[in-house]
Amino acid sequence: MSVGESGVSEFLRSYLTVGWFGIAAVVLAGLLLWVASLVRPSRPGHEKLLTYESGVDPVGEGWSQSQVRYYIFALLFVVFDVEAVFIFPWATQLERYGTFGLVEMGVFVFVLLLGLVYAWRKGVLRWV
Amino acid sequence: MSLVASSAAAWTAPVIDYHALAPEIVLAVGLSVVLLVDLFTAERNKWLLSVLTGFTLLGATLPVLTLAIHDDSVRSLFEGRYVVDEFSLVMKGLFLLAGYVIVLLSSAYVEEGDYWRGEYWFLLLTSLLGMVMMSSSRDLVSVFVALEFLSIPAYMLAAWRKRDLRSNEAGVKYFLLGVFASAVMLYGMSLLYGVANSTLLVDIGESIDLDGDFAAVQALAVVFVVVGFAFKVSAVPFHTWAPDTYEGAPTPVTAFLSVASKAAGFIALVVVLLTAFPAGRDVWQPFVWVLSALTMTIGNVFALRQTNLVRMIAYSSVSQGGFVLMPLAVAGGAAGDAALRAVVVYLVVYAATNLGMFGVILAVSRKTRSSDIASLGGLFSYAPALGVLLTIFLASLAGIPPLGGWIGKFAAFQALLTDATPWAYVLAVIGAVNSVIAFGYYGNVMREVWMRPVPHGDNTPIVTPSSLQIALGITAVATLVLGILPGVVLHFGDIANLVGAFGG
Amino acid sequence: MPEPTTLSYLIVAALLFVIGTVGVMVRRNPLIMFMCIELMLNAVNLSFVALARELTDIDGQSIVFFVLVVAAAEVVVGLGIIVAIMRNRTSLTADDMAELKG
Repeated sequence: MSVGESGVSEFLRSYLTVGWFGIAAVVLAGLLLWVASLVRPSRPGHEKLLTYESGVDPVGEGWSQSQVRYYIFALLFVVFDVEAVFIFPWATQLERYGTFGLVEMGVFVFVLLLGLVYAWRKGVLRWV
Repeated sequence: MSLVASSAAAWTAPVIDYHALAPEIVLAVGLSVVLLVDLFTAERNKWLLSVLTGFTLLGATLPVLTLAIHDDSVRSLFEGRYVVDEFSLVMKGLFLLAGYVIVLLSSAYVEEGDYWRGEYWFLLLTSLLGMVMMSSSRDLVSVFVALEFLSIPAYMLAAWRKRDLRSNEAGVKYFLLGVFASAVMLYGMSLLYGVANSTLLVDIGESIDLDGDFAAVQALAVVFVVVGFAFKVSAVPFHTWAPDTYEGAPTPVTAFLSVASKAAGFIALVVVLLTAFPAGRDVWQPFVWVLSALTMTIGNVFALRQTNLVRMIAYSSVSQGGFVLMPLAVAGGAAGDAALRAVVVYLVVYAATNLGMFGVILAVSRKTRSSDIASLGGLFSYAPALGVLLTIFLASLAGIPPLGGWIGKFAAFQALLTDATPWAYVLAVIGAVNSVIAFGYYGNVMREVWMRPVPHGDNTPIVTPSSLQIALGITAVATLVLGILPGVVLHFGDIANLVGAFGG
Repeated sequence: MPEPTTLSYLIVAALLFVIGTVGVMVRRNPLIMFMCIELMLNAVNLSFVALARELTDIDGQSIVFFVLVVAAAEVVVGLGIIVAIMRNRTSLTADDMAELKG
């Protein structure tokens, strides 16, 4: 833990860049929109004020229920995505752990595959 | 960066004692096979799964036996993070055999239901693997992982009948409170880690002395961890999930939760208290004392009021949990060895008796389709064998002398008397009063069985499947033998009598 | 503004933990209760990482991996059970769950 010698620490100084970047982005975008509003014509109509849904007429509320199948994919994703957390540290030290590490990771991946095979046999991977 | 530098030292592959890990490996391979067989067999061949599950459990018991016979009693793996000593072997044997009895209890139930069969066996094996791992865990990480390993499948098992609202509700209540308890416990663990700079329980034991600048943090950490486990073992006031979950879950699952899952919670609590907090006993002893007194009393008082048999057993098992906690309330002092023995003996006896109890309930409810206490009316007149068995199990739960339950209670009281402090005597008196109260509701069920008329005059005998008969036989013999020859189980208690051997 | 110390991280972790605990006790929707529990687990993670940095010990960070993975498994199981309930009934609050008197 190194505290910077000057008043502002290293830690906060690195965030300062982010702050400047954010301010620049907001100012630039505002400027562009303002300039655009000066030159473009403005004729709002019913069609134009509708919510844009890829050219299809919007139906129902914004808070509509989505298909449960999206949700099953999301769950599968969460599980496999998070398991990857164990593979990354192993991958950075691949050579050091050698054969032992390889076998261990093989076992780990086998267990993950069991889960995938289960999902496949239960038909979860099919888009019905 | 010092963090990276510290890990960059030369690395050598850990030496793994495969003999010591054999039970876990057999279980892991077995459950993978069960999963794959389930996926690739036709529906009519699914009976294979229960057989496979049973053989996996028996197969995993073999290495436990060879390890027990082997000379060097303590095998310490991964720098003491995973220890196979006699305490852990006794508990592994208990879990595997209890698991086998549960397979026998549930095979007929599972075959006759229209729910997912393969998943049932797979989840059961997974949860048992977690329990077997828990017996050996001597490190915060392995304790946590084993605890989740045994709990997460249990949440799913409780909600297994997924189109049944009651089962759903049982699952969600168990899940929410279980996860909440884990979070509380983990926070305590993070504080322990910060205080001790190690995750090894033995190291933590050396750092926790309730002295110095961080005494308050240490006390807080101890309390958090104990509260986390109190949820798992359904100690009052953290028991609210237990009756609902027990009633709503499928009956064999209830047997599993009330016996195996509870025992796993207790051994984790014992290991953590005795190895990680020996010097913190000024904090946890009074806490466990209060938990124990409340658990016994509240569990009993509620059990008295129940008309549903499963719900009554649920409250009775909460109250039995209080008796297991009783010796732990003095475990930090001179009575440590006696307390440890009492916990092990009580858990073994309680497992045999309660599994038998659920066996009878399952057998009877196949005919009556009801779990009201009144539905047992006149059981002896049309099913004498089941009536006698039920009486034996009830008497054992109540702690009547020639039966197993008596020896469990005896060991618990003995531990309190060994400690010989005023508080221990007060707790012993509370325990004694509660044993008497418990006769009230156990006796009530017995009266139904022996003296009341049969409801609707339906005297057709009960057909019990052979697997259920075997399960009832095993549990009845165990209950009787443990009571008549207490030496058998007290000997288990003796070899478990090795606090120093924890952690290697 | 001073350099954040380990203590400040621990205070944030404790606050998160308390918010989560209060949430579990006050809210009645299982989904929200579950989100509060996740908040508690994240508080634990923050606490572990802060302590690992203070102690310059890698163990605290590896525990976080385990907590993360277990939390993911719990999410999947918990949401699965909650969806099973949603299919069987329409509303979802813990107070409505009185099928089993508790």
